[in-house]
Amino acid sequence: MRSLPRLRLIQGAGVVAVFAVAIAVPALAPDPATTNIAVFTMMYIGLATAWNIMGGYTGYISLGHAGFFGFGAYALGLLLARFGVAGGYPPFLLVPVAGLLTAVLALAIGWFALRTRAATFVIVTIAFMFMLQLLAENLVGITGGGGGLSFPIPNWSGDFFNTPYYYVMLLLATVGLGASWLIRHSKFGLGLLAIRDDEDKALAVGVPTRAFKLTAFVISATLVGMIGGVYGYYVTYIYPQFVVDPLIGISMVLMVFLGGLGTLSGPVLGALILEPAQLWLAYNFGASRLYLVFYAAVFLGVILLLPRGIVPSALDLLERWRNRTGPPASRPATPATPAKAVAP
Amino acid sequence: MTLVLEAIVLGILTGGVYALMASGLTLIFGVMRIINVGHGALVVLGAYLSFAVWRALHIDPFLTLVITMPVMFVLGIVLQVVFIRPLKTDREGLSVLVTYAIALGIEGLLGFFFTSNYVQLRVWYADSSFPIGSFRITYVYLYGFLLCLAILAAIFLMLYRTTFGASIRATMLNRTAAQLIGIDVDRVSAIAFGIGMATAAAGGVVFGITNAFNPGSHYDLISRLLTIIVLGGLGSLRGAIIAALVMLVSEDITSVLISPVWASFVFFVILVLVLLVRPQGLYGVRVRDRL
Amino acid sequence: MRRPITAAMAGLGLALVACGGSGGTATSSPGAPITIGVSVSLSGDFSGDGKALEQGYDLWAQDINKNGGLLGHQVTMKYVDDASSTQQVVTNYQNLITVDKVQLVFGPFSSLLTIPASTVVARYGYAFPEPAGGGPSVFNRGLTNLFFVQPAAVEDNLVSYTKFLIGLPADQRPASVAYATQDDPFTQPQVDKAKSLLEAAGVKTAYYKVYPAETTDFTPIALQVASSNADAVILGTQLPDALAFVQTFIQQHYNPKSVIETTGPDQGSQFSGPLAANTEGIMVPAGWTANATAYGNGTFVSEFIAKYGGTAADISGDSAEAYSVGQVTAQAAANAGSIDNAKLIAAMHSGTFQTIQGPMSFDSTGKPQGGVGVYIEQWQSGQAIFVYPPSVAAAKPEYPKNNWQ
Repeated sequence: MRSLPRLRLIQGAGVVAVFAVAIAVPALAPDPATTNIAVFTMMYIGLATAWNIMGGYTGYISLGHAGFFGFGAYALGLLLARFGVAGGYPPFLLVPVAGLLTAVLALAIGWFALRTRAATFVIVTIAFMFMLQLLAENLVGITGGGGGLSFPIPNWSGDFFNTPYYYVMLLLATVGLGASWLIRHSKFGLGLLAIRDDEDKALAVGVPTRAFKLTAFVISATLVGMIGGVYGYYVTYIYPQFVVDPLIGISMVLMVFLGGLGTLSGPVLGALILEPAQLWLAYNFGASRLYLVFYAAVFLGVILLLPRGIVPSALDLLERWRNRTGPPASRPATPATPAKAVAP
Repeated sequence: MTLVLEAIVLGILTGGVYALMASGLTLIFGVMRIINVGHGALVVLGAYLSFAVWRALHIDPFLTLVITMPVMFVLGIVLQVVFIRPLKTDREGLSVLVTYAIALGIEGLLGFFFTSNYVQLRVWYADSSFPIGSFRITYVYLYGFLLCLAILAAIFLMLYRTTFGASIRATMLNRTAAQLIGIDVDRVSAIAFGIGMATAAAGGVVFGITNAFNPGSHYDLISRLLTIIVLGGLGSLRGAIIAALVMLVSEDITSVLISPVWASFVFFVILVLVLLVRPQGLYGVRVRDRL
Repeated sequence: MRRPITAAMAGLGLALVACGGSGGTATSSPGAPITIGVSVSLSGDFSGDGKALEQGYDLWAQDINKNGGLLGHQVTMKYVDDASSTQQVVTNYQNLITVDKVQLVFGPFSSLLTIPASTVVARYGYAFPEPAGGGPSVFNRGLTNLFFVQPAAVEDNLVSYTKFLIGLPADQRPASVAYATQDDPFTQPQVDKAKSLLEAAGVKTAYYKVYPAETTDFTPIALQVASSNADAVILGTQLPDALAFVQTFIQQHYNPKSVIETTGPDQGSQFSGPLAANTEGIMVPAGWTANATAYGNGTFVSEFIAKYGGTAADISGDSAEAYSVGQVTAQAAANAGSIDNAKLIAAMHSGTFQTIQGPMSFDSTGKPQGGVGVYIEQWQSGQAIFVYPPSVAAAKPEYPKNNWQ
């Protein structure tokens, strides 16, 4: 901690550099194959970051965020159909409205779901996700049911098409990161971490745990809903099982765990590694049917070698290298300590 | 009305299979505090192992269990030792990831060896049935149900009548305390995982006789199994059995009275309502420990 | 198109390509080899069908290469897995077109993946002949590059079956019909249309239920169908439920006079394996059957068996549809005298194409037009054969069907 100001400076410069690269991606690699992967990767950076606000800070693992993702997609698609918005830039303006609707839904679901804890909470979120999927399927009059829902198609050329979506995804991811940073440096964020460490103690020392948890849940779900809306508009057609897809919900969780639960850069790193890897493996090795096995093997390797995620493990190494004199074993072994979570 | 009665009988018969599969899952949770999201894939693996043995030896698919259950038991111990045991911190969270990776790996391997075509185990008496009132009960469903009952009974006997069962129960109650009184919890965990896998083999054979399956069948299975064990109360065998029956019977009744498209919705509503009143599930013990 | 002597072994069918395809056998000089890209589902929900598509495409590529290639270009197929996921299918077609620079693309399995894929493909101006996306929402998106290579749009799949029932003598015609269907964009529209046509003709509806596509336990629904005691049963199924319904009917000793299932009975041994002799009498709407005398079909069947083994009954309809996509493309290329995508699109909109599913042409949205329509296939003595309409039937329909064994 002695060189804190210098560290801050390096961190600041790093953040600026990463953003500059992110903004330049479509200019650096304009071919649609790359920008397409960039759109999905940026989408998952946003999703993982949003999920982390709930899962990483409070320790409440939701495997049902795909429900909000799909709800946001349906909300935007139905709004566009309702108001007859044509393809182009205007649909993006309705994304916040889809987010607002998702927030209302998340408030209701969170009010119920957050009465449970731990593993029970995990399953309750899964149950709500399947309920949303079933509603999308069964309320044929509203959603079109099993026929799916089409979005308007912008008539941009193939070379340019992905770029606007990329920037909107980047914007949403940035909002998520900004929100995470603000939360981490607020009393609210400290309250969330206290809940993760010991909810009963947090309550005892006067943290309004219910309100805090619910707020984090709603913020997280709203972002996920907006990203879902943009996703639906990007792929131009959604279908209940393909958009309220448990695998999307699990993917964002995996990315957070891989990068480092409760850290700011962990979810970004996790998404940057996993999403391109998955798209690339499926594209190149899918035909051999073994790509699932590769994917699983890589995954298992990372978890078993770096059980706390890449960022905390790497920081650990760095710390150990800095205090070569101190015994490494004296370091707290749990990732739950707030000191860890401040990590970039 | 007869349709509703039929739905109840049928729900109980098929519920038996889910009870067996869910009991393995809840046992694993109880002993190790891990959520094994790979359990569905293990059931499908069991079905495929039976399929392979059946195809090679041409014996009754039920008999393949003599081979597949021990194989799966050993495989379970290996999986536990290699992949689960190394998880020291944050078991509940990390185990979801590890077991999910195991599920993907199994799906990939099954796809490679068996292709992704649908297959089904076939017994020569698959179509024989006997009448009860206006409808008929199929022998395979009955045999499957009886097999599940027998295995569940064996598990209960083992848990409540043997010393090893006592150490499993002690571990489930309190891992640290169990360790203190000299129970080798690592060994107990490995064997419990093996038992869970062996029940998956048995569940797999019944599932494979009554349903067509392919390597991707595990996604539907696992979501149902997880909701069952939560409704029953995590770690409670009794709860898992009751919850499996509640699920299947409520779905079948909804499907008769309202519509099949609302069947699982009704179950999820029941689940959420129960958890609001009893967050620990039907038979769960209120756990205060954090995730 | 060059058709050397090897065509002799191809028999009538391929001979027809040579003359019927087009008068302008333009490019006689062999061009550079080309690659055709396809995203197929090799894992996930649609993996069974994905494999069958791949086999059909491969067989077509083998045939066309043996006969001098596509307008003289040797064809290589490039398959990538979409894991039955939207994200992956969108990624795959962009990669195929912009990274692998494939010259042509063919369609994936199911409407659900065809729809997002079709907008991507349209962006690059590629023609998109596709074998498996025929739901209503495929055609209402204002795309002009898509061609659904099956004999009829999906909702018309059961129309010829309703004609068959209505055409029966009054004393044999079923008085009541039970319907059950998945809420899938492929199955439900056809079952609903059949229901409205039959009701209009005075056939009572004894039972009608829609069930979710991801249902795993079909027995309760099948039991209700059985207890409705309807004379005929129309089911909107995929393979697993197609099997489960029949098994429950057998177990319940429920013997309707006629059973038709939208998918399942056309899946060859995947269907007959579990049911054995009890496939007898079960019907399925089909654009294709191994026994049909349509264009090139004999060759397709014999080559398929030579390449992949098994019997004619093992060949999935998906493979035949994929093969037809190749046939349509080859003839369109011959008509256009080019494999340029814009020219291919124009050619596909105008001609009539001979396929192993019969002749077909396409309207401006890519819906198949004016063909013979969908036939009815029935399992008889362990084989699925055409039984209706009489003009193409290889055997008389077995009606009422025999009791289960």
